[in-house]
Amino acid sequence: MLPFLLRRVGVMILTALTLSFVVFSLTNLAPNLEKLARTEGSVRMTDDAVLSWIENNGHGGLMVTRYGQWLGVVPGWVRTDDRGVTRGRCITRDVTAEAAPRYCGILQGDWGTSTVFREPVSKTIADKLGATGWLMMWVMLVMVPVSLIIGVLSGMREGSRTDRVLSTFAIATTATPEYVSGVILVVIFASATTGISPLLAEWGWISGRTLFLGTATSATDKITFWNFALPVMTIALYGIGYIARMTRASMTEVMTQQYIRTARLKGVAFHQVILKHALRNALIAPFTVIMLQFPWLLNGVVIVETLFNYKGFGWTLVQAAGNNDIQLLLACSVVAVFVVLVTQLISDVGYVFLNPRIRLS
Amino acid sequence: MTEQTEMLHPAATTLAREVRAGKLSRREFLSRATALGLTAPAAYGLLGLAAPAKAQDAKVGGILRVGMEVKAQKDPRTADWPHISNVYRGWLEYLVQYNPDGSFEGRLLESWEANEDATQYTLKVRPGVTWNNGDAFTADDVVRMFERWTDASVEGNAMASRFMGLVDEATKSLRDGAVVKIDDLTVQLVMSLSDVAVIANLADYPAAVVHSSYVDGSDPSANPIGTGPYLPKEIGVGQRAILARNEDHTWWGGTVPLDEIHYIDFGTDPAAMVALAGSDEIDCNYESTGEFIDVLDGLGWNKLEAVTASTIVMRMNSANGDLYKEKSVRQALQRAVDPAVILELGYNGLGTTAENHHACPVHPEYAEIPKVAPDPAGLKPVLEAAGMANTEFELISLDDGWEAASTDAVAAQLRDAGANIKRTVMPGSTFWNDWQKYPFSSTTWNHRPLAVQNMSLAYTSTGSWNETGMANADFDAAMTKALSLADADDRREVMVTLQTILQDEGYIIQPFWRSLYRHARDGVNIDMHPSFEHHHYKWSVA
Repeated sequence: MLPFLLRRVGVMILTALTLSFVVFSLTNLAPNLEKLARTEGSVRMTDDAVLSWIENNGHGGLMVTRYGQWLGVVPGWVRTDDRGVTRGRCITRDVTAEAAPRYCGILQGDWGTSTVFREPVSKTIADKLGATGWLMMWVMLVMVPVSLIIGVLSGMREGSRTDRVLSTFAIATTATPEYVSGVILVVIFASATTGISPLLAEWGWISGRTLFLGTATSATDKITFWNFALPVMTIALYGIGYIARMTRASMTEVMTQQYIRTARLKGVAFHQVILKHALRNALIAPFTVIMLQFPWLLNGVVIVETLFNYKGFGWTLVQAAGNNDIQLLLACSVVAVFVVLVTQLISDVGYVFLNPRIRLS
Repeated sequence: MTEQTEMLHPAATTLAREVRAGKLSRREFLSRATALGLTAPAAYGLLGLAAPAKAQDAKVGGILRVGMEVKAQKDPRTADWPHISNVYRGWLEYLVQYNPDGSFEGRLLESWEANEDATQYTLKVRPGVTWNNGDAFTADDVVRMFERWTDASVEGNAMASRFMGLVDEATKSLRDGAVVKIDDLTVQLVMSLSDVAVIANLADYPAAVVHSSYVDGSDPSANPIGTGPYLPKEIGVGQRAILARNEDHTWWGGTVPLDEIHYIDFGTDPAAMVALAGSDEIDCNYESTGEFIDVLDGLGWNKLEAVTASTIVMRMNSANGDLYKEKSVRQALQRAVDPAVILELGYNGLGTTAENHHACPVHPEYAEIPKVAPDPAGLKPVLEAAGMANTEFELISLDDGWEAASTDAVAAQLRDAGANIKRTVMPGSTFWNDWQKYPFSSTTWNHRPLAVQNMSLAYTSTGSWNETGMANADFDAAMTKALSLADADDRREVMVTLQTILQDEGYIIQPFWRSLYRHARDGVNIDMHPSFEHHHYKWSVA
C-alpha cells in the first residue's frame, strides 16, 4: 500500500509542476502581460508606459527564472525605479526592502498576491474553496442518494415501467448541460415575469416577486433554501442522471448473476435480495463514478457559480483568467490538480475495500 | 445680492441677457455662468429664478443597495472608471462638482473667479472643512493636489494632460509659481495659456482630493483619510463594497441621510440586473441600457434620466489601417450610414441623432453647421475608384449590449451600400487592450461638460486618447485657439472650423447622443448623473 501511495503523491507533484508551468507560460505570453499592465496601471496607458510597467513589476527577463521565483528556488526580483522606490516580489507593505527574504515562492509557503482581489492568494483560495465546499457538499447530499435510489429502482427490474420512466428522466437530465438547465430553472422559478413566480405572487402565496432568488450572491453571507436551491439543483441534476445510469447498468448486471437467482429460488424476499445480496456488488462501479464527479464538480462550478454569481472557486477561476491574474491562476491550477488526484486516490483505495479481489500493487 | 453683483464676472451678465433674449438656453447658461465663478443660486438669481431646493428633510437612516461592478481601488488620479471613483467618493471629495443640471458647484472650494481671458483663476477654499483625522483642509492641500495632478511621470495619470497652462514642459511637472497660495483660504492659478476647462477638469472623477499622508499609487481605501462623510467598511473586488457613515467625523455638509451604501457586483450582464430587480436583491442599478430600459419599466421601477453628450464613435484609424488612408473612402463610408437608423436599431431611439463631429447641442459652444445628408449610393463608386470594391473591411466592437447592436447596425448599412464588411466582437477584457489601435472599431465616449474637452483628447495630433491617427494641422491650431477663449460665444466661431474639419476628415461615424438611464425601486431617492457620478450625500430612502 505504501509504495502505491508514494507513487501517487509523486505523480501528483509531477502533474502539478507540469500543469503550473504550462499555465505560467500561457499567462506570461506578451499580450497577456500587456493586458495585466493595462488592468493594473490604466486602461488608457501608452505602449511605452505598458512596457515600463511590465519591466518595473518583475515580469521582465527569462520566463524560466520567473517560474523559479514563483516556486521559490530562484531569488525574488528586486527593482529600484528612477524615483528611488524599491519594489520586489518579497517586498510588501508590511515587509520593508531590508527585511525582505531572498526567496519567497510556494516552497516558502508564499503563494503571492492576487492582482484582481488585492489580497494574498492563499487567503483568496481558502475563502473561495470554503464557499465552493458548501456548494459541493449540498450537491453531494442531494445528488448521491437521489441518483443511487433512481439507479437501483430502475436497475432491479430491467425493462419495467418504473425503469422506463426513471431512465427517461436520467437521460434527459444528464443530456442537459448546466448552462442550459441553470437558465431553465431561473426562468421557471426565479423570474419576476415568467414561470411560476408571477402566478404565485398573484395568488398571494409568496410575499416577494419571485419564489427563489435568481442569484446565490447572498449565500456567501448566509445559505438559505431560497438562495441556494437553484445552483445546487443545476449541478446535481446533471450528475444525478449520469450516476443513475451507471448504477442502473451495474445493478442490471448484478441481477442476472447466478447467486441472485439462487437466492430468489431459495425463497428469499425480493427486498432482501436487493438489500443484502445485490446492492454491495452493484455499488462498486458507481463509487468510482461518484469520486470521478469531484473533478466534474470543479468543472461544473465554473459555469454555475458564474451563472448564479456565487463567489466561489469557479467564479474566482473565471475572474483570474479574465484578468490574467498570474499568481491566482497558478494557485487555482495546483488546487485543481490536488483535488483531482486526491479524489482518484480515495477512489482507488476505497475500491479495494469494496472489492477484496482487487490488489493495489 | 449687491456683494455678489460686485464680484460678478463681466461675461455673466451678458450671458443672462442672452437667456432673456432667447439666444441661450437656461441649461447652457448655468453651465457657463458657474464655470465663470458664479454660485448656482447666484446664477439662478441672475435669471430671476430661485435655485431648486435640495431634497427636503430626507429621512436619515437606511441602507441602499446598488448593483454596480466593484473594481479594484487605485490612486484616484489614475482611476480609469467612474465605478472606482464612486466607491472612493464615500470618503474623498472634490474641489468642484458637476451637477446633472449642467452647473458647477463648489464643494471643497467655496467659490472661484476667472480673469478676462481665463489665464488666472482665484480659488477660495471652503472654510471649516476638516479631514476625518481632525486636520483642517487649507490652501496647502489645494496646492499639493495640483502638484499631484500635474506629475506626468506617473504611469496612467489621467489628470496630467489637463492643466497644460500649469505644467513646466521641461520637467513634466508643476511649473514654479503656477499655483500660488495667497493665504490659508485662497489659491491663485497663474497659467501660461488660457484654459477654459480648468473648473470642469477639477470636477472630473480622477480629481478626488487626497490627504497629505496618502502614499502615491496605493489603495486609497487602505488608509481612508478624506473629508467625506462615509468610510469604506468592506471592499471586495468583484464582490461588494460597503460604505458606512463615519460617525466620528463632523462633515462640513451636515448629516448624510443614508447609514450605509452597499455596492454589489453582479457582473456586467444587463439581464442579470433585471433578475436582481425582480427578486429584490438591489434597490437601484448603475445604468440601464437598450431594451432593458423597457423591461425594468415593466417591473414597476422608476426610470431616472440624464441628458448627455455620451456617445459611440465608429472610428477609422489611418495610422494602423492602410484601408483608411484615403479621405474620400473615409468620407464615403461615413456618409453611407444613416444616423437615425442606427439610433433606432442600436439604442431603441433613446437619444438624439448626431452629425459626425462629436459636438453636442448640450455643449455651450456647439455651433450649428450645415447638415450632411446620408448618401449610401455614393459608397460603391468611391470604393471602385479606390480599387477597394471587394476589399474586406473589419469592424470591431465589444461583444454585448448596445455597443454591439449599434456597430452591427452600422455594418449592415455599409453592407447594404455595397461594402464588404466583416464584423468581429471581443469581450471587454481583450477589447480594451488595443482600443486605440484597431483599424476600424467602435469606442464609447462619456459625457464631458465642454465639447472642446473630448475633441482635444481624441482628435488633436497630440491628444492622449487619439484613436483615429488624425493629424490635421489646421484642426490642432484651431483647437489651441478654442482652448484660449473663455467666452463660449467666441469659441463657437472656432468651433465651426473644428466641427467642419472633423466631419470632413471622415474618420468618425458618430451616429447619436445617448440619454443615460438608471432605475430605482419606489421609495429610493437618487438621481442619474451624465458622467455616472454618485453624489451619495444627496441620496436617501423613504
